[in-house]
Amino acid sequence: MPPLLEVREVTKRYGGVTAVHRVSLKLEPGKIFGLIGPNGSGKTTLFNCITGIARVDEGKIGLRGRRIDELKPHQIFHRGVGRTFQVIRVFPELTARENLLVVAEGPWAAACQRADELLGFVKLEHLAGEYAGNLSYGQQKLVEFVRVLMTDPDLILLDEPAAGVNPTLLNELLDAVRRLRDRGKTVLLVEHDMKVVMDLCEHVFVLDHGEKIAEGPPSAIQADEKVIEAYFGR
Amino acid sequence: MNPRSLARAALPALVVLLALLAAYPVVATGYGVRVMLQLFMWVALAQSWNLISGLTGYVSFGHVAFFGMGAYTTAILVVRLGLPWPLAALVGGVAAVLLALLIGWPCLRLKGPYFAIAMLGLNEVLRVIASYFESLTGGGLGLSLPTLHASVPIYYAMGAVAGVVTLVTWLIVTSRFGLRLMTIREDEVAAEAMGIDTLRYKLYAFALSAVGPGIVGGLSARDQGYIEPISVFPFLTTITMIVMVLFGGKGTVWGPVLGASALFILQELVWARFPHWHPLLFGAIIVAVVLGMPRGVLGVLQQKYNLPRTI
Repeated sequence: MPPLLEVREVTKRYGGVTAVHRVSLKLEPGKIFGLIGPNGSGKTTLFNCITGIARVDEGKIGLRGRRIDELKPHQIFHRGVGRTFQVIRVFPELTARENLLVVAEGPWAAACQRADELLGFVKLEHLAGEYAGNLSYGQQKLVEFVRVLMTDPDLILLDEPAAGVNPTLLNELLDAVRRLRDRGKTVLLVEHDMKVVMDLCEHVFVLDHGEKIAEGPPSAIQADEKVIEAYFGR
Repeated sequence: MNPRSLARAALPALVVLLALLAAYPVVATGYGVRVMLQLFMWVALAQSWNLISGLTGYVSFGHVAFFGMGAYTTAILVVRLGLPWPLAALVGGVAAVLLALLIGWPCLRLKGPYFAIAMLGLNEVLRVIASYFESLTGGGLGLSLPTLHASVPIYYAMGAVAGVVTLVTWLIVTSRFGLRLMTIREDEVAAEAMGIDTLRYKLYAFALSAVGPGIVGGLSARDQGYIEPISVFPFLTTITMIVMVLFGGKGTVWGPVLGASALFILQELVWARFPHWHPLLFGAIIVAVVLGMPRGVLGVLQQKYNLPRTI
């Protein structure tokens, strides 16, 4: 099957620091992918490159066979790539509901209905009218998660979705991610919680110091010498 | 009385207020009319600044440039081409929008303080240009408009601009367009990542925020009968707009109206007695607002009583 997203030999430098070095990934549609690695290994930078927030210095990124690495973030979003952020980026002085509504295209009434459904889905309907800045960390995380779903993107990038979400809600969130996959969506997630990664992902990429050091199914990754070394040292 | 029932009483009160303002010139003295038309001017200016800076968070430190642009366009059209002043003032508004698009296209890509400083520069450049092209603008000597006693029509025109800009703000704040402008203020990177073409939205807001100052600048030029570079491009006018909005509540609909009214009346009272005091007073108000209630009067009430943004 042709890949939905192809990252080819992408390099990104910040001054003298090479945050991502010649990284290549292929994401086939309808699967959940994991992106792991120690702190500072380039995971978020790679997300920023894919979503256009950071310009790549070398290499190419293609979505359904068309280059997207020269597009602006809002254009990439409209091609069907949605994301959440590691550090929460809800719009604090907009209500939870408005946070979702701003993203929607098309008729207002339909957007309102979808926003209410999605908030109900993460059990936040009673807080729909509350300013997002007044919600708890975990609640803001959920608002950000459903905000991405407003436009039903084909590729969803989740940057540490599990961090700070309480265990009950976490299970529902993970179920939600699986249901997205079942509907044919592709998910790429950065996560530090290895249990989540091993449970959820079908294929895992490992970054260390900006380079891809391994990829494969979770079980193989867990046993990989290089990965163990990257995490625990020699 | 709780804020909700106050809100229900607001519409009839607003209608009565508008009727009183419409009838005012019939009973007022010439001085009274002049004072009120200046109040309307400040409402229009403050509300316009609110459209770009209150909603998107892009602080414009040179908004008086659009006022000056409108004033010069109108004066030149009246003096050189003999256009009637209402038409000339409207053209002044169009000229201000064109200037906003021209300047906004490059400058709205700048973030935060850089945009603020670029706008400060714009105003200074326009003032120099107005001084330099003597054959068109009269240079430093200024431009005198033919004598005309039109305070009452100008009163209504200023009032209409203030009303329309406020109405437009209300419409924007209650729309998806307005919410998207606010996302730029809240988190521009997230807004871009969520599919919002932030540059385009900023440009629309900026263009809209130039219309009012452009027209009002033209009306003011007609009212004053004489303009010169330093009288229509004063930095203090921008500062006044900013202080009015910060005092009343940025990003709200009625905050700029409240701020403009309160500070203008205060300024008239203080200015009449102690001419050198009002810059000092403004400075004190800026410090007090920034330290004590950065959200302004209505912003504080809005937060305390969880009021809708349409106040």
